[in-house]
Amino acid sequence: MNTVVADITYRAMLGRKRILLLVLLPLALVAVAGLLRLIGGPSEGTAVMLMKSFAVGTILPLLGLVAGTGVIAPEIEDGTIMHLLSKPISRPVITFTKFVVAASLMAVFAALPTFLAAYVLIQTESGIAFGFALGALLAGIAYAAVFLLLGVLTRHAVTIGVIYALIWEGLVGGYVPGARTFSIQQWAQSIADQVSTSAFFKADVSIGFAIPAIVVVTVAALLFAGQRLRSLSLTGEE
Amino acid sequence: MTEHTAIIHDIGYRHYEGPRLGRGSAARALTLHSLRGVFGLGRTTRAKIIPFLLVAIMVLPAVVSIAVMALAKQPGIPYYSYAVAMQAVLAIFLASQAPYLVAPDLRYRVLPLYLSRPVTVLDYVGAKLVAMTTALFLLLAVPLTVMYVGELLVDLPGPPRTHDYIASVVSTLLIALLLASIGLALASFTPRRGLGVASVIAFYLFTSAVSGVFYAVLVSTGREAAAGWTMLISPFFLVDSVQVALFGTPPANSGGYPAGPWPALILLAVIALALTALISRYRKAASS
Repeated sequence: MNTVVADITYRAMLGRKRILLLVLLPLALVAVAGLLRLIGGPSEGTAVMLMKSFAVGTILPLLGLVAGTGVIAPEIEDGTIMHLLSKPISRPVITFTKFVVAASLMAVFAALPTFLAAYVLIQTESGIAFGFALGALLAGIAYAAVFLLLGVLTRHAVTIGVIYALIWEGLVGGYVPGARTFSIQQWAQSIADQVSTSAFFKADVSIGFAIPAIVVVTVAALLFAGQRLRSLSLTGEE
Repeated sequence: MTEHTAIIHDIGYRHYEGPRLGRGSAARALTLHSLRGVFGLGRTTRAKIIPFLLVAIMVLPAVVSIAVMALAKQPGIPYYSYAVAMQAVLAIFLASQAPYLVAPDLRYRVLPLYLSRPVTVLDYVGAKLVAMTTALFLLLAVPLTVMYVGELLVDLPGPPRTHDYIASVVSTLLIALLLASIGLALASFTPRRGLGVASVIAFYLFTSAVSGVFYAVLVSTGREAAAGWTMLISPFFLVDSVQVALFGTPPANSGGYPAGPWPALILLAVIALALTALISRYRKAASS
């Protein structure tokens, strides 16, 4: 953890157009929850659907992409990462610092609005708000680590991340139950299911798999990203 | 004072004396160059992987459908719902390629170089729009055509589904224009490719999730009429509703859409809005 690097990364993330997506998406989530309350009245089934398909299924992977790749990919793309890499800071420390920044952004812009949206709809009924907020927090951290690794590995990080989130988690996960086991979204749902007592909601992946999976994926992605940054090549792709 | 010995050497520089093809030709060249670039042609091998992977995914169901028609003698995948069924692939293609078309020129500020030639801002924007629209049209029309040719060759009992095929190709043109104008407008607001990809895919995911959530809630509370309107938030269902109104094909969702000219008017309004945003963005970029 290096506070100067963290400070610079925060400024890069919050000072540009990137902040627009980071703020607009959670705002939209809470606004949709408010609208749903107006038209449908508070209902547990609605809240679970909103959380599953919207908060965890749409907003969380998107924010993970913006935050996870945003902390490092733009610097690699325009080559300014060189200034950072030429300082006597170990590369794993750089990736860890950037990961902490991304994870904290996920907590503020993904987990907190998830709680707010569920709270707007049904307050703390059946523990849905707490469950999904905790799920979004932990899965958001895993997303941040995985997409940070993608940002180090390739210049098409955002596209590949989108393909993972849409095709694998969305399309393939919809038809092939086995694919859901290896989907970060589903792990978030397992955690939410564990906390909440709602009858409207049953997760597909057991909590005994989800928690270790999140830890393993996060740690492995961080270690690998740190290794890759040690041998980063800046030769242009196009 | 030393004697000046500097002389200008004739290094054999020659002026271009061939025909000057003018504005139309320059715009056409830019269009073709952009269209090739969308599919990664003339770029590195790595740039070709993603577009061609997505093309392969798009064609795959058509091939499977032909196999089903040939072996099981049953009608394959319906033409009219192909776009809605494959919307995620189309959206990823748009998100990954639209920023490539607009971001580098904005980022390296080379727009004045284009504009110092006979090409105008409108020519430039038009070339990019035509290239993206053509690419999306090909991406969707090729599998449809492959499937139609397959259906003719397999020669199923009963007449071929020519009406459905024509309807789906016409709405493919609409969907390509709609997606291209929205995608380019969103992507042109940031010179960074990664952020452009994220904004375009955020637009797609957000609109489809919002329409899905509101549709489900309104149907469950018994307000089917209002539910039909919320489907129009998603660009794919918007074009599908226009297709239903124009050709009478079955709707791709279960509940149907609002009747009347409204879906078509909304479609035109969205395209006009996106194009206005795109053009004003480039007028600003050209003047700075």
